[in-house]
Amino acid sequence: MTELRRYFDDIALGEEYESPGRTVTEADIVTFAGLSGDYNVLHTDAEFMRQSIFGERIAHGLLGLAVQAGLFTRATQAYATLALVGLRWKFKGPIKIGDTIRLRAKVVAKTEAEKPDRGLVTVQRTILNQREEVVQEGETDLLVERRA
Amino acid sequence: MTPEPPRFYFEDLELGGVIDTPAITVTEAHVQTYRGLTRELDDDAHAVPELLPLCLTTGLGWRTAQPPLVVLAFLGLEWRVLRSLRVGDTIHSRSRVVTKRPMREGGVIVEEREVLDQHGEAVQRGKFTFLVGKRPKEVAA
Repeated sequence: MTELRRYFDDIALGEEYESPGRTVTEADIVTFAGLSGDYNVLHTDAEFMRQSIFGERIAHGLLGLAVQAGLFTRATQAYATLALVGLRWKFKGPIKIGDTIRLRAKVVAKTEAEKPDRGLVTVQRTILNQREEVVQEGETDLLVERRA
Repeated sequence: MTPEPPRFYFEDLELGGVIDTPAITVTEAHVQTYRGLTRELDDDAHAVPELLPLCLTTGLGWRTAQPPLVVLAFLGLEWRVLRSLRVGDTIHSRSRVVTKRPMREGGVIVEEREVLDQHGEAVQRGKFTFLVGKRPKEVAA
């Protein structure tokens, strides 16, 4: 399905995408704790978190980051991505169990790379919850193949 | 009451001290679990998604001799992926606190962190910013 991928040359500055929603579940958080080994009480101790400013367990920040990477693949036709090479990211608010998040993304820069067969695409990304609150935002730099 | 496990507070952190974590081998199971969780797909089953080592490094930090840091919130990160990893590579992380800024509630710390492979080569590198709790005034005897 390689021909369906979009190359550096095909991607226009200013393009915007919006993903479908994804409800973050308790199972997501437990799975992420097991995968990452990060068992911080913030994510794993319901009783402790009841007394906290959040009132309940919250998702790992990096779970939100990882989930949005998947949402990006559902928001637009696949890029001919070689690699994610850079990331600048802010965690603005908690993602709680049952929250439904979606990704809004925009191409904000296209930069020539050292090698002529690829270019760097910078995508600004915002994760919104069901109340339209920004929970995470940042930029990612993707190395994308050029058309041969 | 069971005794409280030791915890590491803002006051306990020293600037510049380098911490090396134990290592973990990145397996096909890690990659499949990550892909199932995120739906970040790839035809190459042995390619390690770039964000997976970043996720694993947070757990590795829990396996050091230093007691767990009282993180109130993860505020942000800057991160660079220097080279790709394959299933079977073994990574560990190295970190040091480079900035400490006390606030009224807790304090902000910036930590430099690297993920290194089995050859000692840095594969990912960046900075994490955390809001960390201060030691409570009263400690129950």
